[in-house]
Amino acid sequence: MGITKKVEVYLGPLQEKFRRCPPISDLIDYFTSNFTFVLGYTWDHIKLVGSAIIIAIVIGVPLGIYCSVNKYAASTILQIASIMMTIPSLALFGIMIPILSLINEGIGTLPAIIALVLYSQLPIIRNTYTAISNVDPDIRDAANGIGLTTFQRLYKVELPNAIPLIMAGVRTATVLNIGVGAIATLIGAGGLGGIIYQGILRNNTTMILAGALSVAVLALIADLFLRLIENLFTPKGVKK
Amino acid sequence: MIHFNDVTKVYNGNVKAIENMNFNVEDGELVIMLGPSGCGKTTLLRMVNQLESITDGDIMLNGKSVKQSNKIEMRRNIGYVIQSNGLFPNMNIEDNAMIVPNLLGWDRKKMRDRFNTLMELVGLNPDQYRKRFPHELSGGQQQRVGVARALAADPPVMLMDEPFGALDPIIRTHLQEEFLQIQKELKKTILFVSHDIDEAVKMADKIALLKGGQMMQFAEPAKMLNKPANSFVAEFVGQDRVLKSMSLYTVKDLATALTLKPVSESLEAQNINENLSLRVAISKLLNQEADQLIVENNNGTNKGSITLDLIEQFLHREIKESV
Repeated sequence: MGITKKVEVYLGPLQEKFRRCPPISDLIDYFTSNFTFVLGYTWDHIKLVGSAIIIAIVIGVPLGIYCSVNKYAASTILQIASIMMTIPSLALFGIMIPILSLINEGIGTLPAIIALVLYSQLPIIRNTYTAISNVDPDIRDAANGIGLTTFQRLYKVELPNAIPLIMAGVRTATVLNIGVGAIATLIGAGGLGGIIYQGILRNNTTMILAGALSVAVLALIADLFLRLIENLFTPKGVKK
Repeated sequence: MIHFNDVTKVYNGNVKAIENMNFNVEDGELVIMLGPSGCGKTTLLRMVNQLESITDGDIMLNGKSVKQSNKIEMRRNIGYVIQSNGLFPNMNIEDNAMIVPNLLGWDRKKMRDRFNTLMELVGLNPDQYRKRFPHELSGGQQQRVGVARALAADPPVMLMDEPFGALDPIIRTHLQEEFLQIQKELKKTILFVSHDIDEAVKMADKIALLKGGQMMQFAEPAKMLNKPANSFVAEFVGQDRVLKSMSLYTVKDLATALTLKPVSESLEAQNINENLSLRVAISKLLNQEADQLIVENNNGTNKGSITLDLIEQFLHREIKESV
């Protein structure tokens, strides 16, 4: 039995139920007949946002840690990250085109990933910075007094205690990126925005709704998934 | 062991926190730095393990200048206990207590044995607490682990910053007594910060009383109580200083210094062990529980009796005649 058939078996009865409510029954109909199509777009979206978030963590967490040891740099770095957030996403994608055209990557995945990484920086840097700065000063004092080096203090004491707050930042950034990622389709990056955009072009409300719904569901699932990861990495003694 | 040589601390170029501090903590001695808040006692303590820098002068630790020592290595050789215990919430009790041995690269077996010994020493069951986390323990238990952590690598020197300050009075008294027992056994060189004169009288071999970054008096507790160097010291130790000093003498001290009276048949009597403090004795007498106390040694042998007159005579001798 093919996957499309399977979906039909599950969604069929549901569709019967909503026969008298055309928008919903049309929507179910759309998902049933275009399942693999939607799945493909969703996978593109996950790849786009996922790679952007991984890069954002690799850049943002160390920057946040650096902010916590250098208060002077902290205000500058956080300000730049805040300014990034204020640029409308469409404008940011627009700016990428002339800049990246210089290396022949004006449209496509690369500019989209760069834009998403920039958007993720504020929540990740700020949460990391806050988490590490807020580690109980007595604990830091004890760590120093016992003879831990700065690096040992960071990875043995400060980071383990900061994980819940850092992960909260990552979750915010991920949900944000799944939304913003839908717009990336306009510069040819693919993803679920494509379904919405095609819906608009064809004046097809069902398609617009299907795209929007998929984005929302993906955001919820991603948040749940990251919650599990957070739970996995939080030391037992830090969980309250 | 710890020598303070003209130690001075100046903040922002003009605020003097510590001025020309000079005193020594000898091997195996427990010295308590006492004083009102803001007197610089904690700053002075933190200068020993270089958590605070020294503006002028130097502190010699075991003959070596702390300024020139490798900070990390030096701190691992100093037990450090703070008021809020500072246990790491992410580590279980065993990892917390064994953090320094772990940094020093001890093997697993040795660490496990050390953990068991230490937990027995501070009065906690090692197997019951090994895998627990700090937030699951009461304040008193956490502070016991804090002490165990400081003792872990068997450092010769310990710095304690109001270690029992955050505990309720009953637990505090308990821990003070237990810690005195531990100290009797281990004979560490300890520098201890407190703002509680009773704690200092009870625990210290010597008290350093500070005010505004200057040393007011550095002396044995009995001497500080009986012969305060100036009016500030007299005021700080309290008007009831004589009563406080009573806890420093045992009934045995009195019995050695003076001849005990024979037991009188006409007076109401009660027994007292010779190892109890004079404070207990006098409060029994004042409490009208008895008019005379019959002194017994541990075997229950009667050594004579004491009355209020005799205690007064003893105090006269200690305060007026001793140096």
